[in-house]
Amino acid sequence: MLTLTLKESPHVPLEAEVISPDVVANLTPGEVRALPVLLGKRRCRLDDWFDVDGDAGDEIEVRGDASKVKWIGRGMTRGRVTVVGNAGTHLGAYMTGGSVEVTGSAGDWVGGEMGGGTIRVRGDAGGQLGAAYRGSPSGMSGGTILVGGSAGIELGMRMKRGLIAVGGKVRDFAGLQMKGGTIVLTGGAEIRTGAWMARGTIVSLVPLRLLPTFAAAGPYHPTFLRLYARHLRPLGFALPCEPHEGAYRRYTGDAAVPGKGEVLVWQPA
Amino acid sequence: MSCTLGEVKNRADLIIYWGGNPAECHPRHFTKYTIMQKGKYVPNGRKGRTMVLVDIRETPSAKAADLFLQVRPAKDFETLTILRALIKGRRVDAAAVAETGLTLEQLEDLAHRMKTCRFGVLFFGMGLSMTRGKHMNSAAALTLAAELNAFTKFVTMPMRGHGNVTGADVVMRYTTAYPFGVSLSRGYPRFNPGEFSTIDLLVRGDVDATLVLGADPGATMPQPAIDHLARTPTIVLDPKVTHSSRLARVHITTAATGITAPGTVYRMDEVPLPLRPPLSGPYPSDEDVLKRIVAAVKRKPAWEPAGV
Repeated sequence: MLTLTLKESPHVPLEAEVISPDVVANLTPGEVRALPVLLGKRRCRLDDWFDVDGDAGDEIEVRGDASKVKWIGRGMTRGRVTVVGNAGTHLGAYMTGGSVEVTGSAGDWVGGEMGGGTIRVRGDAGGQLGAAYRGSPSGMSGGTILVGGSAGIELGMRMKRGLIAVGGKVRDFAGLQMKGGTIVLTGGAEIRTGAWMARGTIVSLVPLRLLPTFAAAGPYHPTFLRLYARHLRPLGFALPCEPHEGAYRRYTGDAAVPGKGEVLVWQPA
Repeated sequence: MSCTLGEVKNRADLIIYWGGNPAECHPRHFTKYTIMQKGKYVPNGRKGRTMVLVDIRETPSAKAADLFLQVRPAKDFETLTILRALIKGRRVDAAAVAETGLTLEQLEDLAHRMKTCRFGVLFFGMGLSMTRGKHMNSAAALTLAAELNAFTKFVTMPMRGHGNVTGADVVMRYTTAYPFGVSLSRGYPRFNPGEFSTIDLLVRGDVDATLVLGADPGATMPQPAIDHLARTPTIVLDPKVTHSSRLARVHITTAATGITAPGTVYRMDEVPLPLRPPLSGPYPSDEDVLKRIVAAVKRKPAWEPAGV
């Protein structure tokens, strides 16, 4: 396992997309130390900022407050990246496989346009989780993002497939312009959830304030949610789906698009 | 989708101001371009046009309006989204509409006017773009106007704030392809508002020096951003002493563009207007100062280690 310990927190963002199993796997320790990272516009060596220990392989561990280190695990296809501490923006963006785990919090754009793999953030995440980059037609197209704490605005913006589950409260515009996939909000959301969604499912265990362009469509016991409940239980997310516990109220929208998305809001019996 | 103000004057028969107060903030807008003038295809002038004002309070602009719609604060996104549904003939629950402060009949009437006009224009102000939802409120206005083109000709235009904001956008666009929030740190332009936009960079403390040109962030930005400007080296180019220049490490007095220096400003509809200075002054123009800074930076030895 390769261990990277941050020597000191950079004062401006450090762009380190080389921290990815695909880049380091076949390199010698000397080559790993010489990998380029960008501090602002200055090109530095990886060992200018990190103490590099161990042999390069499919496992990387980053230690220290890396909240200004951007693009960790960018485009990775395999292996495992663990961040012991905080991670910066664009964590696991464009990744298609493997797993990323953060013990602290992460910045904006976690899993931006990811295609597969798993990202787990134990603390809070920033905005635009699994979202499409500006001007891009679709966000995440597969994979799973799990957040233990809260998340910021525009969660899952234009996402096409995949699963996002958040334990804490999320901010405005969750599921903005969603095209597919599933968002599970166990801690609820602020306003404008599901705005302009075309397809996809948002599940909330807490009552939501929806846009006037969503229409109530009655109580619902979706069979597919049992599958999600079984999948999410070992990951620490409990989804109720027994009829005696209550029912999901189904809302369809957004009529402005006009969309066929659904928002399922849990109502205990 | 936009046009010039000349087209608005000659063609527009439905003019909507959303979240702005042109009577006080753009006082010549009504009389020169939008509602008072007789146009080529609007021969009756004011009588041939309908003016709608949407705002959270009754401002002096409401006197000039044929129709004033008072929305609840921070309900613009909801209102625009309902309008998007209504123009497509979608049903919206009347009880749910009440949260916007307007009735379904009022919005249906507005949607009907928008669809049946010959040439509509939607001007949106800071009441839309600077309240909760921010860029998504503007996106809602732009999308609504774009979708109305399935029925008639409809354009939209932001009512810009002080200074040559449009000019900065236009120049950034033709040099980098993006209007704002551009990072050139990797040698090529990258666009990501929220990551590279000024306020966000300053609030997060992601920059270690700032050059302020033709702006006064010390007067307009949130306190954490101002604190970071004061903490790190800030250079201000401005003809006068401003809030920003007081907290800056360096203030270079420059000539006032249009008074003692020539230049080009862009009108809000992106029409470039050349400025001829009537006076001469002792100070260099912004352009001169920047050119001399660039020349001095080029003379400095490269910071990159050789061979990288």
